[in-house]
Amino acid sequence: MTIQAVQTRGGISARAAVLAYVVVCGLVLLLMMVFGLLMRLTQAQWIDIQPDLFYVIMTMHGAGMVGIAGLCGATVMWYFVRRHVPVTTGIFVANLVFFLIGALLILGSGFIGGFGAAWTFLFPLPAHSGDLWSANAAAAYMFGLLFIGVGFLLLHLDIARGILSVYGGLGAALGVKQAFGLAPESEGPPPAVAASTMALIVNILGILLGAAVLVITLVNLYVPSFAFNALAAKNMIFFFGHVFINATIYMAVIAVYEILPVYTHRAWKTNQAFYLAWVLSTVFVLIVYPHHLLMDFAMPTWALVLGQVVSWLSGLPVLLVTAFGALTNVYRSGIKWNTAAGLVFVGAAGWAIGVIPAIADGTIEVNSFMHNTQWVPGHFHTYLLLGTIAMFLGFLTHITPRSNNAWAPTGFWLYVVGGSIFVLAFLTAGAASVPRRYAVHLPSWLPYDRVGSIGAALVVVGVLILVVRFLVSVTSAAPEEAGA
Amino acid sequence: MIQEVVWSISIVLMGILAALFIWVAVGADAALVNYGPVIASAYRLRTWLFGLAVIILIAANYDTIGKLPYVSSLPAMPAGAAIQPVEVVAEQWDWSIKPNAFHVGQTAEFRVTSKDVNHGFALYDPEMHIVAQVQAMPGYTNVLRYTFNEPGVFHVLCLEYCGVAHHQMNTEIKVTAQ
Ligand code: HEM
Ligand SMILES: [Cu+2]
Ligand SMILES: [Cu+2]
Repeated sequence: MTIQAVQTRGGISARAAVLAYVVVCGLVLLLMMVFGLLMRLTQAQWIDIQPDLFYVIMTMHGAGMVGIAGLCGATVMWYFVRRHVPVTTGIFVANLVFFLIGALLILGSGFIGGFGAAWTFLFPLPAHSGDLWSANAAAAYMFGLLFIGVGFLLLHLDIARGILSVYGGLGAALGVKQAFGLAPESEGPPPAVAASTMALIVNILGILLGAAVLVITLVNLYVPSFAFNALAAKNMIFFFGHVFINATIYMAVIAVYEILPVYTHRAWKTNQAFYLAWVLSTVFVLIVYPHHLLMDFAMPTWALVLGQVVSWLSGLPVLLVTAFGALTNVYRSGIKWNTAAGLVFVGAAGWAIGVIPAIADGTIEVNSFMHNTQWVPGHFHTYLLLGTIAMFLGFLTHITPRSNNAWAPTGFWLYVVGGSIFVLAFLTAGAASVPRRYAVHLPSWLPYDRVGSIGAALVVVGVLILVVRFLVSVTSAAPEEAGA
Repeated sequence: MIQEVVWSISIVLMGILAALFIWVAVGADAALVNYGPVIASAYRLRTWLFGLAVIILIAANYDTIGKLPYVSSLPAMPAGAAIQPVEVVAEQWDWSIKPNAFHVGQTAEFRVTSKDVNHGFALYDPEMHIVAQVQAMPGYTNVLRYTFNEPGVFHVLCLEYCGVAHHQMNTEIKVTAQ
């Protein structure tokens, strides 16, 4: 359950690799959160950052957070899935190296090259900078994303290889037979395996389409006469973006399945509903992305209606299986709460609660009024900040019990209270028609920005405490007692 | 205003979910019970919740899919009703809107396109609330219909990130009483 478990199974290098991931995740998370806070403070007009720099920071925050959420998810997934299938530590480390190279390229594209086309690099904006960034800067960003994508591709393929060697097929590893009642529930794969299988299926497809549109963008940068259909590019980008960011949650949620039971002393029951939820989620994640294009009236109406209906359907597995499962697991279990258990529990709650505003915005009639307002960052920060990242921070605290000490609850409460204020400010501003991605806000919008800034500042302090506690406990502990 | 309704419903549902998690968390170490019976009654409850969710899902989707903003899905205009075509062209970082003055009761049909990158055509009423929007995409003309129902200065804001002056890309539409 602790780092020792990793150590005994794969030797020192696997343990070191996991720790390296967690250290990188913790530090990059903090840096990106500071970027986020700077944006909020600018919108609140409490500090003064010029629009060109604001949009660079926004691009870095978006790409950095999406990437690091993926890395957080990968850490959790790899840590737990290797208890069930053979995986290669070298590949795991390679992914981290690819990530770091990609991150450097992206940071360079922004802070040296001025690239600020947002993390979604919506075609053909990278080639139309208005002289703010060069083609080379944009290319550095595209190559950065490609590096990160290649790393993840390798990681997922390696896990796929391990899963196939044990389960023989992806369907078996996902529990498809159990999902449809064709095989006994008791013979189904453990949650970590089912979740890792789902993540690799969707992410491999997502990364391939993402890579294709990145290459198209690269060509267009240097050969402007190479025209590509903007709507097709948007479909590809949002397929990739939606899949990748959602996969982060589906990887990180393994922390809920694995860590909560340690503290409640109740096994996480996998049954038909559980497997059905994962099979359906695999399909839903792949076909729901048109809900990002609801205001593209040129899209076929059936695709947009599909986007809406599947958005609603996607909520069911989350709410009725994972959230419900977490509640049942904890209900009068006699659990003695600590920060690790609290954070993964909050992670399950944040994911479930974030589903509500997400479904609202996935409804075409509502999207006409909420699309690209701050409602959007409102809903996704709910299930990323209070979901994915809470799960990861729970994992981080769990594997280093020494960090689970006197200061940790302070970090926890700052995080949860600050995070709630922060997302509610976004949602309320969105309902008041405040656009997202605006460097400069109207005076009447400032109250939301200021409340949001205060929440954001609390989050940053909370995460600072949790991450510093982790770093101190890792560096001060002799290797053999790190898991004590 | 639909935004207020959606905000209220969302906050209430989010609050109920949060309360549920808090209630379970707070009561968790109070009185220990066996897991078996908890699971059994939880599964019964879940079956009911599933049924409820399906009903809500069908009702909500049935209701909202009847009100799509896409022109092909709109009810036919009453005979003799005039639709004012409006050419909208977006270009970093300006709007060209012709014509850009209307009167109350008039239905405008905005034909929205872009010369360079993606922009977002969002119509704000005089109180600065979004009343309609559509994407402005190069190579496409998206058609958005809106009937003005109050006089005053409407604003058009860009709602798709389009580069460094994205937040300055706005213009006005004047609507006079009939
Ligand atoms: C202290 C924590 C955080 C703060 C203060 C923060 C702040 C912000 C702000 C101010 C924006 C721009 C809002 C706007 O469009 O007006 C933003 C966008 C975004 N944030 Fe965060 N954020 C935080 C945490 C996170 C986390 C944990 C993630 C993901 C794991 C994340 C992912 C994103 C993404 C993907 C965007 C969209 C960027 C874009 O619009 O191009 N953020 N955030
Ligand atoms: Cu624009
Ligand atoms: Cu714009």
